[in-house]
Amino acid sequence: MGIEHNSNGGSKAKPAGSSLAATSLKIVGALLFAAFVLIVVPMLINGAERWDLYYTLTSVALLSIASAGVWLTFYIGRINIGQAAYALIGGYVSAILVVDYGVSFWWTLPLAGLTCAAISIFVGLPILRLRGVYFAMVTLVFTEVAKMAALALPITHGASGIANIPLPGALEIFGLTLIPDFNTLENSRYAFYILSVTLMLLCYFMMYRLVNSRMGRLCYSLQQNEELASSIGVNITYLRLVAYAISSFLGGIGGAIFAAISQSVYPSSFAVADSINFMLNCFLGGLGYVLGPMLGTFVLYFGWDWLFQTGKYQLLIFSSVLIALMLILPNGLLSIRLWGKKS
Amino acid sequence: MEQVIANGLYLGAQYALIALGLTLIFALMNVLNFAHGQMYVLGGFVTYVIYGQLGLPFVVALIASAITLAAVGALIEIYLFRPVIRKSHREESTMLLAAAIAFFLDAVILLLFGEKQRGVPKILDGVLNWDFRIIMPYDRIAIGVLAILIIAAFILYMQYSKTGRAMRALAQDRVAAQLMGVQVDRYSMIGFAIGAMLAGVVGGLLVTITGVNSGIGGPISIKAFMMVMIGGAGVVSGAIAGGFILGMAESVGLTVFSGYGDVTYLIIFASLMVFLAIRPQGLMGKPWG
Amino acid sequence: MSDILSIENLTRRFGGLYAVNDVSFTVKENEILSVIGPNGAGKSTLFKLISSFLKPTSGRVMLQGEKISGLAPHIVARKGVVRTFQETTIFRNMTVRENVIIAHHLQSEASLFGYFAGSANARRDVQKFGQSADEILTLLNLESVAYEMASNLPHGSLRALGIAIGLATNARVLLLDEPFAGMNHEETMRTVNMVQGVRDRGVTVLLVEHDMAAVMKISDRIVVLNFGEKIAEGTATEIQNDERVIEAYLGIEDESIGL
Repeated sequence: MGIEHNSNGGSKAKPAGSSLAATSLKIVGALLFAAFVLIVVPMLINGAERWDLYYTLTSVALLSIASAGVWLTFYIGRINIGQAAYALIGGYVSAILVVDYGVSFWWTLPLAGLTCAAISIFVGLPILRLRGVYFAMVTLVFTEVAKMAALALPITHGASGIANIPLPGALEIFGLTLIPDFNTLENSRYAFYILSVTLMLLCYFMMYRLVNSRMGRLCYSLQQNEELASSIGVNITYLRLVAYAISSFLGGIGGAIFAAISQSVYPSSFAVADSINFMLNCFLGGLGYVLGPMLGTFVLYFGWDWLFQTGKYQLLIFSSVLIALMLILPNGLLSIRLWGKKS
Repeated sequence: MEQVIANGLYLGAQYALIALGLTLIFALMNVLNFAHGQMYVLGGFVTYVIYGQLGLPFVVALIASAITLAAVGALIEIYLFRPVIRKSHREESTMLLAAAIAFFLDAVILLLFGEKQRGVPKILDGVLNWDFRIIMPYDRIAIGVLAILIIAAFILYMQYSKTGRAMRALAQDRVAAQLMGVQVDRYSMIGFAIGAMLAGVVGGLLVTITGVNSGIGGPISIKAFMMVMIGGAGVVSGAIAGGFILGMAESVGLTVFSGYGDVTYLIIFASLMVFLAIRPQGLMGKPWG
Repeated sequence: MSDILSIENLTRRFGGLYAVNDVSFTVKENEILSVIGPNGAGKSTLFKLISSFLKPTSGRVMLQGEKISGLAPHIVARKGVVRTFQETTIFRNMTVRENVIIAHHLQSEASLFGYFAGSANARRDVQKFGQSADEILTLLNLESVAYEMASNLPHGSLRALGIAIGLATNARVLLLDEPFAGMNHEETMRTVNMVQGVRDRGVTVLLVEHDMAAVMKISDRIVVLNFGEKIAEGTATEIQNDERVIEAYLGIEDESIGL
């Protein structure tokens, strides 16, 4: 292989020089994107009177929050097929607190995330030592176990689940209303859309920061070579747990809002197929790219939604397309980009 | 007590057979076959059609299940896994392909056979009653014995046949086997076919007891994964041990925890995690990583 | 020179096999000590035991009077004993400079959250590590490939990168695993100079190696293992004239040794 290590090594641009311009470009891009999804998209939807799109886009936003978590576990070198378990747990934590204990939804939201993070530490401690296929298997089993637990435990109300969850009330701090009561709004779908998209933007902003900070480099070093990371003094057990807890936190948040929108949660609300879809979202969007899971979720969800018109052939066509995609692009959508760059 | 053990053995034999297929595919190709449960379901439906609907003898139906699934397995290996393994850089690719195949088979099964639970006539009537200590219908005993015979046949085949030896060499060290002249492609294909066939045979066996419906593929795969983790991935003895342990645990759990709803699997999973914390490679697996 | 590391009756059994059997020796501060022996003599296992990637069946490793065997590898690294690996063990999908920067982990003052939030400590760390990395790259003649992907490096530079990673950790004791393997004479000699440069920075170097010529040239002292047991210890001249060593090596046909 042609290794031109000396000839052009020096001429490769040092990232420092042009970074200021690149950073400001990125900030402008991010702001434009935020303005687009928060202002322009609602205007378009209202103009076209396609209110159903609010629900679809809200779903995409929430699923991409959960997918971002899965992506982070990919980033430390673990194939995570257990995110649906945390989404389910998050949904139940919020629903139980709201319905059975009368807690405000706005308090249950962080609690759902934190409960998931706490559970993930107990689950992660033994299983994060596993790698590759082994970790994937355990997390997949965990998804199924979460569902069984929801069916079996008294606190989750068994198979009938929790229905009739009230809409989120107002969020007030010192008498100041930060978020109005969703019941008083004429269009709660719009409110959920704004909530979810804002959280999604926040989530991806944080994720971007994380990945581009030294913490992100440390996470990446785990993916590259755990043994070496450990021998240069990185506490790999701790770092793995932190990453996995963040991932599960995001899963819990996504699940909690989902439960609030659908005003119900059942043991089958998030199942094995969802876990696999979260993984597919990440893979489709590209594993080396922070915004990948957002793109992947968008494409996959809209693809699935669009195939709804094919009726009973929906799953058949969907899976055939996936198989074809794997045959043509076994290294993900992103490989098109890399391939294009080379030629 | 005897009843619990007898149930455990009966379940364990079926489970071991499912896990054997999964572990064989894993050992040969390092592929986690997500579609294993769906192959089981497909096998169940083939027997349902031939034995339950056409009224042909059960043995014919079982053989038909075996042949159908062997063919499906071989085709999937040749046209799907082989090219993807050749072109991909990461192990996620085969996992995603396997997941997509699982979705695909789910869709096909749903279209062909619908959502209904399907059952077939009993293959044997009557119940064994040993002093009220063990009560077990004859058909369950027959199916259990058949499963154990197939396991024995599989072990003998792997141990003594030329194909079996080649596959073992391949599982142990792919590169070395290749250097020694083992045709990797050919035996990967045969291994995948046999693995799929085993799943189909269990489907055919169990349809006579529990029936079959299109939705159980996923849960069956999950159970198979648990068995493989208990026993150690890619090891024949591990798959058998894992199958019997899970069967026994389920049988005991259903008796002991019957008053507390279906928490058996929650407890089994919790125990599995504790176990993996101590022994990440499973009972019989080789240490790795 | 005082002892920095002492290996006391170290034993590691795998099943019925003794990979390392009752091995004792000491390492003096700032020396270069090589561990040699035929294939399967237990050299790699010994290194894993010292860096605590494996737990000993019995015996212990002491770092200046403090027991380090049995601790987690990253804690042993934190105490100053760092193992570098054979060439394949680098962060392949990072640039050379990133590899070296990340290896400064032990000098971090900021917390994980600090890095995420961009605290003052974190910014200072990042700047400091960058500077130090550039110095190390210059020292090991890697500055021309600093922004090259590590997976694209040729053989010799990879080995240098391994050493650079070791240096970046600011280790007091550096364990080098076969630093000369697969190198031609010229590359070996360059690497020998590099290792001596590392020692001149005050680092104690322990290395496992097959290349006898290099070992004889570079080592202050040599420890010889055979079948997991220590059969000799001493300077290059002493080892070359030791009957048990010659016997151990003559048993192996295909190994070219410079005795």
